[in-house]
Amino acid sequence: MLLRLASRNLWRNKRRTLLTLSAMVVSLALLTLSLGVFSGMLVDILASTTGQYHGHLVVTAEGYLDDRDMYRSFAPDPQLRQRLEADASVTGFSERLRGFGLISHRESSYPAELLGIHPEMEQTVTSLHRQLVEGDYLADSNGAGAVLGSGLARKLDVRPGDELVFVTQAADGSIGNDLLTVRGIFRTGHTGHDNSLVLVPQQWLQRVMALGGALHEIAVAVDEPLRAAEYRPRLAEHLANGMAVTGWGDLLPEMREAIASFDVSRLIFVCILYIATGLGILNTVFMSVMERTREFGILMALGLRPAQVRRLVLLESFLLGALGTLLGLACGLGLNYWMSRVGIDLSSWITPVTYAGGTIQPRLKAIFEARNFIDPAWLLLVVSLLAGFFPARRAAKLQPVEAIREE
Amino acid sequence: MSKRIFLLVLSVVFMAQPALSADLQKLVRKVEEQYMGLSSKSRMAMSIRSEHWERSLVMDAWSLGRDHFLVRIVEPAKERDVATLKVDNEVWNYLPKVDRVIKVPPSMMGGAWMGSHITNDDLVKANKIDEDYTFALLEETKERYLIECVPKPDAVVVWGKIVYEILRPLEVPGTVSYYDEEMVKVRDMVFDEVRKIDGRTIPLRMTIRPVDEPQESTVIRYSDIDFDIRIDKSFFSLRNLKR
Amino acid sequence: METVNLAWRNIWRSRRRTVITVIAISFSLMLVQAFHNLAFGVYAQMVDSGVRSGSGHIAVYRGDYAASRDDRLFWPEGGLQEQVAALAGVKAALPRIYLPGLAQSSRESRGILLTGIDPAAENDINPLLKKIDAPAMIRSLDGRDALVGSRLLRELKLNVGNKFVVTAQGPHGELVSELFRIRGVIESKIREVDSSLVMVGRERAAAMTGDAGAIHELAIILDRPDREDAYIPVINEMLPGGSELAVVSWEAAMPNLANAIKLDYASQKFIFLIIVMIVTIGVVNTLLMSVMERIREFGVILAVGASPGRLRKMVMAEAFMIGLIAMIFGNILGCLATWYLAEVGIDLRDFVSDSMEVGGVIFDPVLRAAWDFGYMGQMSLYVLVLSLVASIYPAAKAARIEPARAMRHH
Repeated sequence: MLLRLASRNLWRNKRRTLLTLSAMVVSLALLTLSLGVFSGMLVDILASTTGQYHGHLVVTAEGYLDDRDMYRSFAPDPQLRQRLEADASVTGFSERLRGFGLISHRESSYPAELLGIHPEMEQTVTSLHRQLVEGDYLADSNGAGAVLGSGLARKLDVRPGDELVFVTQAADGSIGNDLLTVRGIFRTGHTGHDNSLVLVPQQWLQRVMALGGALHEIAVAVDEPLRAAEYRPRLAEHLANGMAVTGWGDLLPEMREAIASFDVSRLIFVCILYIATGLGILNTVFMSVMERTREFGILMALGLRPAQVRRLVLLESFLLGALGTLLGLACGLGLNYWMSRVGIDLSSWITPVTYAGGTIQPRLKAIFEARNFIDPAWLLLVVSLLAGFFPARRAAKLQPVEAIREE
Repeated sequence: MSKRIFLLVLSVVFMAQPALSADLQKLVRKVEEQYMGLSSKSRMAMSIRSEHWERSLVMDAWSLGRDHFLVRIVEPAKERDVATLKVDNEVWNYLPKVDRVIKVPPSMMGGAWMGSHITNDDLVKANKIDEDYTFALLEETKERYLIECVPKPDAVVVWGKIVYEILRPLEVPGTVSYYDEEMVKVRDMVFDEVRKIDGRTIPLRMTIRPVDEPQESTVIRYSDIDFDIRIDKSFFSLRNLKR
Repeated sequence: METVNLAWRNIWRSRRRTVITVIAISFSLMLVQAFHNLAFGVYAQMVDSGVRSGSGHIAVYRGDYAASRDDRLFWPEGGLQEQVAALAGVKAALPRIYLPGLAQSSRESRGILLTGIDPAAENDINPLLKKIDAPAMIRSLDGRDALVGSRLLRELKLNVGNKFVVTAQGPHGELVSELFRIRGVIESKIREVDSSLVMVGRERAAAMTGDAGAIHELAIILDRPDREDAYIPVINEMLPGGSELAVVSWEAAMPNLANAIKLDYASQKFIFLIIVMIVTIGVVNTLLMSVMERIREFGVILAVGASPGRLRKMVMAEAFMIGLIAMIFGNILGCLATWYLAEVGIDLRDFVSDSMEVGGVIFDPVLRAAWDFGYMGQMSLYVLVLSLVASIYPAAKAARIEPARAMRHH
């Protein structure tokens, strides 16, 4: 009975209902949109960092990441490879050999880091193949092609087709050296990588460094990077003795801190957003109930018990809140969808930014995350009930006569 | 009586000490020049034992004074003609495989030369011991002098001190030990197989041992050496490096 | 005047409604003001920290050094530091020279960036030196005192007081070496700094290039960061004619930092837009509601003979007054909140370590607000205009109603 009365009440006073509803819907939709954009930024930062180089987890011999000692290498393990391939949460992995030395062209030479890769494997972990500004990616893992960062290419003054010499200390004590041909040039926006990273075929690098068949690391990409730490022990179980898995959080402590601080500033903003939204809705509902004191007086005069009046008011606010939540979520989904497809491109205004070891592309883009919808929905329902609660109590306490006379 | 002893002690402290240091400097220089020569051409074998590799090289070397130096690998065949040129403070490597001369940049000066326990920087800074250090006699016996070499305060030297052993009566180097600033020994250089060649008495073999890695060593042995050959600075050119 | 009086009486007659509306609007205003000021303060801090350890608000370089970092682009300082530092409004002029090289101890060697500074000028400015005590500071321009990064110290297996040798490329491509002695340790928590920074007196470093007066950069710190445009031409005038020297702003010298700030700013602008939109709809709705609910009352007023025009004016006057009161309260609250955030701030140290890196510079983990009165004024005005605009529709509507029907309205 009360439910019917409540819904009829809402329906009868269309203008008031619409006003309140519009406040709810707009606030909720905007709230979910900004949460989506926040999530988008975070994922963007993380993806760019890990996608430029590290991947989300790295398998190495113990201690390799500390001193990059070239002798801390290991042989490819077919079983591990199979296991990685079979794991549904692993989206890609790349076996790599790393070499540090001098890269030169004509008179100029610079220190460089060479990454010996299988091109098709590397593409499942890093996005460098999509960041080429000139030439092509490596074609196979055997030739003598090189894909290098734009800063290094500029310093060496090379273009695709030019010849490079790589000189390093080989594992057998000799001076490892050989020619490379520039195939492509990438630009990530990360100054460190752009100025020193060179991708080369793995077998070529193994030959030059006299490290036949050896690897230094396996970079692994997983489907949920923020939970990479949870995969770590699972992966560690299957490793041979003397091997270790490191998550991106330990590879890039700066990144972890950046994300922590980002989380804090996001928390601050989300709080403001929630407060602003809550305040707006609270007020609208509060006002609309207050204004009806007289009406409640009449209802009580007609024999409705105070408890029933209270329930009626709460029910109305709840219905309104539920409706607002539904519509708000629908609008929010729409806005998020639009923001995830279109986004706001800022590249005409700013260039990519290096941020705690990662690079952020200059754009605002939303991504979908369930909690960005669930939390605001709860908030709205709770706030609308809360907003109904006080005036409802007050209305129920009134003497009918007083209530009718009010205003 | 006591006064005379006191004066004697005083004169030793104030007069003998500097004179002694200068003498020692002269002695060290003489010993160093003995085996450096004004100019030389040699064939040497270098065998290296390190944690990760064991290798043996045969090299031809030419030198002129302290500042000009050219080495070319003869064996193994795989590394034949790989060469190093040092002129004053610069070092170049020639790599026949890619037919390129690469100048060793500051960043690679700490790297091992030809995989040995000698760094590129050792090549550049080698043999300036008589200029950068002050000397004190630690021990004098019939067999040897033991000389403590302490770097001058501003000398561009990483060592805390060097203890230089000179064997008597031939006055050839014996063991030279390098210490860090905590006076912990870092490496030993041992000279032996003393021979008389072209009127000079020199040790033919030099062994370098890092103290932290006792099983590692680099041994250089001259199989053939000529001193005071006719050679001038123009020999030590990039063109000659490539040959 | 009579309208105003009437409106004033009206808004206090239904005190509860007024209070709710005022609270809603003033809280919204406070939120927007306080958090804009917080963001404003954080940017100011980032810029400040960035320019102090980086290029200054304005920097003098030779050629395209800012972009290419080509070591050969050094130039003779020639007294420019003193001249610039003497300008009114210039807090400090910091000459620096940067030489990549190799540091060697008796046991290890590592690639480093040898940074020559003027310790006296740098000491109070550079955030990297904040934790260096006076006795650990470099004592002279041409001494052998060095500050080294903490990781570098470990990797070279050295201790404070030990010596090490730095080798770099000389003016003609030859190798030059210098001896330095460790006086202090810099721990910035930025991996690159900690593992490769060696800071020494600039003349000792510059001597390696063959000219003890050489520098790569003159970083100029201003008293007021927003005055950089005014100083660029002034300093340009002081440069010797015919040289390749050029004066650039920090945005041009440190594009990465500038972009990081711009990007952050863009995203915050976006969020602010959303907050303002949410606040707007809240304010408009509250006002609309408060007017709409009074249609019966308006009917009575019209019935007793008031003209629709007067009624309209009265409704708008009421809205304006509520807006005005809310604005005053909102500003008071906004000032209090900003004051708190400026004095106490938000401490992030529970979440992150002592310092953070953004766009290549460290900044303080305590977020502090700064006063942006212009923005506070703008927002106040916006709220006032908003309350007026929000009342136009209901006012027009109120004036058009028929008394008889309005009175039936409940």
